[in-house]
Amino acid sequence: MFLKVQLPWNVIIPAENLDAKGLMLQRSIIIRLLDDFSSKKATKDLGYFLAVTTLESIGEGKVRQHSGDVLFPVVFSCLTFKLFRGEVLEGVVHKILKHGVILRCGPIENIYLSCQKMPDYRYMPGENPVFMSEKQSKIEKEVVVRFMVIGTKWLEAEREFQALVSLEGDFLGPVSSSMM
Amino acid sequence: MSGEEEENAAELKIGDEFLKAKCLMNCEVALILDHKYEQLQQMSEDPMNQISQVFEKSLQYVKRFSRYKNPDAVRQVREILSRHQLAEFELCVLGNLCPETVEEAIAMVPSIKTKGRTHDDEAIEKMLNDLSLIKKFE
Repeated sequence: MFLKVQLPWNVIIPAENLDAKGLMLQRSIIIRLLDDFSSKKATKDLGYFLAVTTLESIGEGKVRQHSGDVLFPVVFSCLTFKLFRGEVLEGVVHKILKHGVILRCGPIENIYLSCQKMPDYRYMPGENPVFMSEKQSKIEKEVVVRFMVIGTKWLEAEREFQALVSLEGDFLGPVSSSMM
Repeated sequence: MSGEEEENAAELKIGDEFLKAKCLMNCEVALILDHKYEQLQQMSEDPMNQISQVFEKSLQYVKRFSRYKNPDAVRQVREILSRHQLAEFELCVLGNLCPETVEEAIAMVPSIKTKGRTHDDEAIEKMLNDLSLIKKFE
């Protein structure tokens, strides 16, 4: 789910970037915030950080004792993307393995659908392996699949999420491209 | 949220902070990110620096998975869904997946049928019809 959240952050402007002209300072604060924001990538609680939408306020700067840098408390709104357990979403298959498929959905690339969670489908080996059901429904590379999230995992080192998903349930499975 | 164990979006258990948070449909995110993309290109000497991979992948995704493209249609979808006493989260799942039948809608958002809520099949049917009308006239 895409979320709009309001966050308070501190932006640090190095002493050498401080400028007597107010407008320039505001610009450096914004640029610094955007840089910090995109390098943050994601957090466990809020999910992936997409974009800052509005800067709500810039507070009064505080000089830091040792470096002379100035810290500005800012409040801004941003978009994030987080997967919730039990949520139904659509994603695109980008890898077919013997024991399941890997999908991408929004900014997340590691969404694993195990063959145990799609019991109607059988692995068909070959140059372009696919998963096929008895009803001739096919899961192959680039196919859109509607799935339910059954678990998510936050990887602190990579600042990334992994997710486990399932096709067990009504109205889940590959979505015909004509509907898109 | 007391523990991660309990999270279950199907029952609308997603933690208070997210229940109250504003959720956005794919089509709404597409409009915002598109606009942002243009803005960043104008604002910065080195725009690629501020367009992160997360941004790019998300933009690609929402462009592909937006059922409604026209900004007026997007506004109408939210307006129609808002009339139905849905949680933000439910509203967006329905707007994203555009179920065609009442059965499908309940499978996508089981929480709309939980106890104490007033959605009968007829009301859900009406809502889905209104949505498909917007799609037709977009």
